[in-house]
Amino acid sequence: MPLNTLNIITLVSVGAHPMSGRARRAEQDARAVELGLRLAGERLRILHAGDPEEEALRAYLGMGLAEMTVLQQPPQADALPALSDYLRQAGAQLVLTGTQAETGEGSGMLPYLLAEQLGWPLVVGLAEVESVTDGVAQVLQALPRGQRRRLQVRLPFLASVDNAAPTARQSAFGPARRGQLQAQAVSVVEDVLFSEAQLQPARPRPKRLKVIKAKTGAERMKAATAKASGGGGQVLKDVSPEAGAEAILKLLTDEGVLR
Amino acid sequence: MSDIIRRDPRAEWIARNRLHPLHASLQTAQTSWMGPNGLIRKNPHAIGFIGPNGLKRIDRSGAQQGGSSKRSTAKAEVQLPLHVIEQPSFHIVVVPDMVGGRLSSHDKDLLGLANKLAGSEGAVVAVVFGEHKESAFDTAGVDRLLHIQGEAFDGYAPEQRVLALSAVDNQLTPRHWLIPDSRTGGGELGRRLAAKLGERPATRIWQVADGQCIGRAGAGREDLARRAPRLILAAAECADPVGDSRHEVRPVELQDQIAQCLPRIENLGAVAVNPALIPMAEAEFILSGGNGVQDWTQFHQAAEALGATEGASRVAVDDGFMPRDRQVGATGTWVTARVYMAVGISGAIQHLQGIGACDKVVAINMDPGCDMIKRADLSVIGDSAAILQALIERVTEFRQGGARDAA
Amino acid sequence: MLNTILPILLFAALALAVLGAGKRFLMWRRGKPAKVDWLGGLLAMPRRYLVDLHHVVERDKYMSKTHVATAGGFVLAAVLAVIVHGFGLHNRILGFALLGATVLMFVGALFVAKRRRNPPARLSKGPWNRLPKSLLMFSVSFFIATLPVAGILPHDFGGWILALILAIGVAWGVSEMFFGMTWGGPMKHAFAGALHLAWHRRAERFGGGRSTGLKALNLDDPNASLGVEKPTDFTWNQLLGFDACVQCGKCEAVCPAFAAGQPLNPKKLIQDMVIGLAGGTDANFAGSPYPGIPLGEHGGGPHQPIVNLQGKALVEADTLWSCTTCRACVEECPMMIEHVDAIVDMRRHLTLEKGATPNKGAEVLDNLIATDNPGGFAPGGRLNWAADLNLPLMSEKKQTDVLFWVGDGAFDMRNQRTLRAFVKVLKAANVDFAVLGLEERDSGDVARRLGDEATFQTLAKRNIASLAQYRFNKIVSCDPHSFHVLKNEYGALGGNYQVLHHSTYMEELIAGQQLNLGQHKGGSVTYHDPCYLGRYNGEYEAPRNVLKAIGIEVKEMERSGFRSRCCGGGGGAPITDIPGKQRIPDMRMVDIKETGAELVAVGCPQCTAMLEGVVEPRPQIKDIAELVADVLIEAPAATKQPAAALEVN
Repeated sequence: MPLNTLNIITLVSVGAHPMSGRARRAEQDARAVELGLRLAGERLRILHAGDPEEEALRAYLGMGLAEMTVLQQPPQADALPALSDYLRQAGAQLVLTGTQAETGEGSGMLPYLLAEQLGWPLVVGLAEVESVTDGVAQVLQALPRGQRRRLQVRLPFLASVDNAAPTARQSAFGPARRGQLQAQAVSVVEDVLFSEAQLQPARPRPKRLKVIKAKTGAERMKAATAKASGGGGQVLKDVSPEAGAEAILKLLTDEGVLR
Repeated sequence: MSDIIRRDPRAEWIARNRLHPLHASLQTAQTSWMGPNGLIRKNPHAIGFIGPNGLKRIDRSGAQQGGSSKRSTAKAEVQLPLHVIEQPSFHIVVVPDMVGGRLSSHDKDLLGLANKLAGSEGAVVAVVFGEHKESAFDTAGVDRLLHIQGEAFDGYAPEQRVLALSAVDNQLTPRHWLIPDSRTGGGELGRRLAAKLGERPATRIWQVADGQCIGRAGAGREDLARRAPRLILAAAECADPVGDSRHEVRPVELQDQIAQCLPRIENLGAVAVNPALIPMAEAEFILSGGNGVQDWTQFHQAAEALGATEGASRVAVDDGFMPRDRQVGATGTWVTARVYMAVGISGAIQHLQGIGACDKVVAINMDPGCDMIKRADLSVIGDSAAILQALIERVTEFRQGGARDAA
Repeated sequence: MLNTILPILLFAALALAVLGAGKRFLMWRRGKPAKVDWLGGLLAMPRRYLVDLHHVVERDKYMSKTHVATAGGFVLAAVLAVIVHGFGLHNRILGFALLGATVLMFVGALFVAKRRRNPPARLSKGPWNRLPKSLLMFSVSFFIATLPVAGILPHDFGGWILALILAIGVAWGVSEMFFGMTWGGPMKHAFAGALHLAWHRRAERFGGGRSTGLKALNLDDPNASLGVEKPTDFTWNQLLGFDACVQCGKCEAVCPAFAAGQPLNPKKLIQDMVIGLAGGTDANFAGSPYPGIPLGEHGGGPHQPIVNLQGKALVEADTLWSCTTCRACVEECPMMIEHVDAIVDMRRHLTLEKGATPNKGAEVLDNLIATDNPGGFAPGGRLNWAADLNLPLMSEKKQTDVLFWVGDGAFDMRNQRTLRAFVKVLKAANVDFAVLGLEERDSGDVARRLGDEATFQTLAKRNIASLAQYRFNKIVSCDPHSFHVLKNEYGALGGNYQVLHHSTYMEELIAGQQLNLGQHKGGSVTYHDPCYLGRYNGEYEAPRNVLKAIGIEVKEMERSGFRSRCCGGGGGAPITDIPGKQRIPDMRMVDIKETGAELVAVGCPQCTAMLEGVVEPRPQIKDIAELVADVLIEAPAATKQPAAALEVN
């Protein structure tokens, strides 16, 4: 089955720039759209649950899509029921999402819950769809530090993408402006989380000092007042290349990067 | 080291000679002792040494060794007190990632958090799948070890593992589930379990205290504070690991059979990834070359021997030795490598900006005054070609040695 | 017999020329509409030609004189030939006049031929090498044919053989000069050039004026395709302008991207637009190709896309992205063609419609949208560089004499040194100044030149709104790019300000004796003219005067002033980063090293960054503000307080 006949829906959300907090297309969602566009081309459908007036959504259309569906919801609503209702009827074979939202809770639960509700398998960290034959897809899953694992999964399935997926193409102003946001009314289910939880500006977390197993007060004192490491590196001057290489090798093995 | 105590006549001479600059440092470094009332007494004058400019310096890092300190072999490992929970009133279940079959530091942090939550009443249960190589569950704080084995759980089998964990949930009804929110498996397993159990988890938690937990929300610009739910996916460094007690690691068994499922996701195994093709932003170990690299063939050899991803400075790219997508720096790629090895890169400010997130920086350079050396944790001054050559040989040797050990 | 053949030939050629002219005119008119002063332009055309254009041509004395003789002779000869031979008005005086004209033209044509013997690489060959022969043929044929009219030779001299030879000569001459003029021969430049001067898209450039700001794109129509996709998307007078090209290659000779081996040749680009206008391939182009791109593989037509991102069309996208918008080509062009406008128009389409800004372009534009600075830094950190300087803020002062426009250099550690130096100068001179602080945004320069007109206009409108809240007399900036955009491009969006580059302002301060300056110590100094200060805004003297005031005698580079070579940092070129054979800043550093100077004074953060990116050893690079701050004598002598009177900006 050629990849470009796949029926793919990408779920998108409104992101926030990490520095300014300004609304934008979410990085991972945009990568999911990119992956979808590479697989299905213009047949890709994209879906959002939220406010159809949100301008930042147009950035997804600017990637070369004529329209997107928006399930109209107020911001504090739970997107899950609306999305699963829609997806159940949409006839998609592959649903792509980002790993976690850039705004709100960002628990990253949505793909898991959707998969559970739809009864579909979920591939986490999809990097590439290699082939689809007889309704079975062979895909590459991204592992940390650029590693990959090959998986086989039956259609239809859900996949989340992380930053290992291909970088999203540029969003162009013209198509973004011309694209259509098709709003659909859905029943609203309130999300109860924010009745008990509060969002607050992120507190910076200091880097943990080396854990000291001190047995005596003196040792603890010594540890507590120890110089932070890295205040100035070790410089090997006038050493033989072999001695230098030995020192480097020691650091590499200590860090465990030699595999 | 031998246990024979040897005299050091020179040190003794210095210790007698009160005018010798090293005299003070060779005095018996008895800086603290038990007083008559059982209080620790300290002599602040006895510590430190006279620095070259005549000022007294106190080096608390312990790097300065007093000459008269007794050379003795390391003391035998202190036996930590054993923490026993006979009848736990509740369970805290931790599912460690066990990367490479061992507890990772993230796992240990979680066990530390679990022990904090368990207090003296609860028991910390670690659920471990498949074979493992860990021998220090006791000092990491595991009261109970639930070892689930079977072919179905080997490799990447998240669906089967979730079934096992829901069986655990039925049997123990733990007060809290603690799972590392990591990319090495925990994040996925925890969320799958949450979906399966219908529990709303708290994610990216970095602090749990007084029944409240705080975790990062959204893209990391905000924190979300809420009541600690049953299922907690905790970030690294969420708590200090256990350090001062030993635990029983009493094995427990699952009573019920774990339901078998037909795996819907079939694992076809890891794909060999050429380190050269790993996106630089993700690479763990980068060998980066700059203007000072004379022999690029050798540079590529070194990268291959080390299994490092190649990077380059802007100049090396401009001069056409490396492709543009390999440029490291503010105008190229911002890298996050654990070890960043800069060969012949003097360290323009844009380049240093780009490696800001790197853990350890190794510099090989001719010029001891360049900025890269100031940033580096380890610098070797000298001819890069000779050092790289020596390094290639050492690494090849090291790998062969490693292969022998494994055999 | 000649008396019958000549009029037929002349009028046939003229008729064909008129037909061709009509056809060519309709070709141009396929472009988008543009408002021109039809009659006024035509009336102003002779003056524009004889004065403004002549000034440019005059830089090359040889060519200027040659052209005066040839073109003058030809125009005269053509008019007289029509009267004498066409209408048969065999007047002796007219005959002698025609003889004189043809002699003049002949002499000019000889020099044209001489130039063509060993032509420099920038000149096109092919039909252009035929042109001097045609010129000679035209002049000689008409000279001989006119001899009888002037009574020097008997009327029946030479018989029918000579008549036949002459007829062939005249036929060749008039077909090149009349027919070829409107049907695409080399002489097309005269016809299209004259009309191009009449209906130029920047009429302000004539009569000593300056017009360098990019024209705003109308974003009001949501369904319009943005930018130029196909040749007919240019305005018709742009198309006319392309047709005016004489292929002299002056642009090619000064283009920094061409010299660096990047795939851009401004002359070829304009010729490609001509090919697009008429349809065809570039196989017959007789000049230097784009470096690295062979001829004959590209072609297009008026209604076909100029750039095909998936395959080949008229022009490769890399060609458009190689341009640093340094305007050296426009400055040199004797036909006053606007290359940069055309390139940005085509970039606009690639960015706004195709989302195809190469390399870091997309990221930079996203950053500009999300953080108001190209680096993606937290907007709240815009004033961190001045944390200890206690700078007065506009939001607190509300009105001031000088508004110091900091620019995005605020985020760059190198440029912060310049900014701090300039603040030191301002404080030493007791200038009443303030900064916008966090209310300032990127000026939009990079976004606009990368073709993202939408982001430019958003940024500009927000900046204009911020500026509108306050009262100030002038804006001073250390960044020529911001300076240019604020001064020349915000006007179209409703922001009109008096804007000064910091060198100009320091010159004023020095002239007003508000600064107590010592003398520069240290080695010799050269000065690099930033494109956006020099060519874009004509400010060549102020920086030199400031340097002079601190005792620096500038060792000028061969290419300085309006001929200054770009540092490679403009137009988003470092962002799009199209590979070439060498780097533009390296070439500029060679220019600098040739002077033997130990230090190069600059006046632009881009130039500083690009030149400092050259591998050492190289001369030091310092901004003028740094040089002035270095020799500032603190505790200023009795300085006059700046005029407190404030006007509404």
